[in-house]
Amino acid sequence: MNHNLESFVNRTLKSHGEMAMQDAITALINSSDVQGRYLDNSGVDKLRTYYQSGEMRARAAIAISANASPLVTQAVAKSLMYTDITAPGGNMYTCRRYAACIRDMDYFLRYATYAMLAGDVSILDERILNGLRETYNALGVPIGATIRAVQSMKEVTTDLIGAEAGKEMAVYFDYICTGLS
Amino acid sequence: MSIITQSIANADREVRYLNPGELSAIHDFYQSGSERLRIAAILSVHESQIVEKGSRKFWERCPITPSNCGNPVYQASCLRDQSWYLRLVTYAVVVGNVEPIETSGIRGAKAMYTSLGVPLENLVKCMGCLKEAALEMLPYDDGLEVASYFDYIIQGMK
Repeated sequence: MNHNLESFVNRTLKSHGEMAMQDAITALINSSDVQGRYLDNSGVDKLRTYYQSGEMRARAAIAISANASPLVTQAVAKSLMYTDITAPGGNMYTCRRYAACIRDMDYFLRYATYAMLAGDVSILDERILNGLRETYNALGVPIGATIRAVQSMKEVTTDLIGAEAGKEMAVYFDYICTGLS
Repeated sequence: MSIITQSIANADREVRYLNPGELSAIHDFYQSGSERLRIAAILSVHESQIVEKGSRKFWERCPITPSNCGNPVYQASCLRDQSWYLRLVTYAVVVGNVEPIETSGIRGAKAMYTSLGVPLENLVKCMGCLKEAALEMLPYDDGLEVASYFDYIIQGMK
């Protein structure tokens, strides 16, 4: 019942454009505040787990930011570069479209890293996913190929930061893919 | 807003990743997280005790006030609002920022209490008593952090 209330409140706030960017901590506080409750045990336990993984999150963010552009290059090479999509007539043919693809992958990686640090997906909804699928459809950007590229970005990122942090980043890469499909 | 969302918002505005300084500040924040949860837990576990003590002190020091005039609704409202502010203080302790207090407890508060006929100077005294009652539950060092949030409420009501 609380979950229903929470999602109702979030939806209501969102529809009024008042939903600020959240992290694991502010999300819990905001949902407790609208119900007039102290932070409950399950919420506090979640925060403790989040804090305990803080070292891992900060390290992963450092590694990703130092390697952002090779990560994107590798991901695109792995998933798209040698397929028909980059050939004449393909959706990544001409440098302009190729560059647009790289730029969007850059965005996805940066926002997924923000969300991983925050331990919360609201940043992705707010800054990336809101209206993205409609925009891609209108521009004729193939969603399937985009998702393949995000999935291989997940793989190359995990190779860089290790399995544990990679699993956490995967949450946010997958969230982007789900939001697109 | 926590230091985490604040740093992310700053980085996003400049289209960049978080820099080492920001990440190290966030790292410190993660490290202090369980301490802040511990302090907030002490306050929330002792909520009714703190509010009761705070009210007693308040009515001793400020006997002529709506909540002490024999009207049970006024009295209950006074207790409820003290719980309400104590709750906002626990949020602020957890997030390490006054924002929850500012958003839910300060903006519009003076106008609201004035329109309800609650004298603001009594409200300030009441919050001072609530602060004392809360600090009695805490070790000295924890109290310093908590005191600053009560002071923020008091300043906001003056």
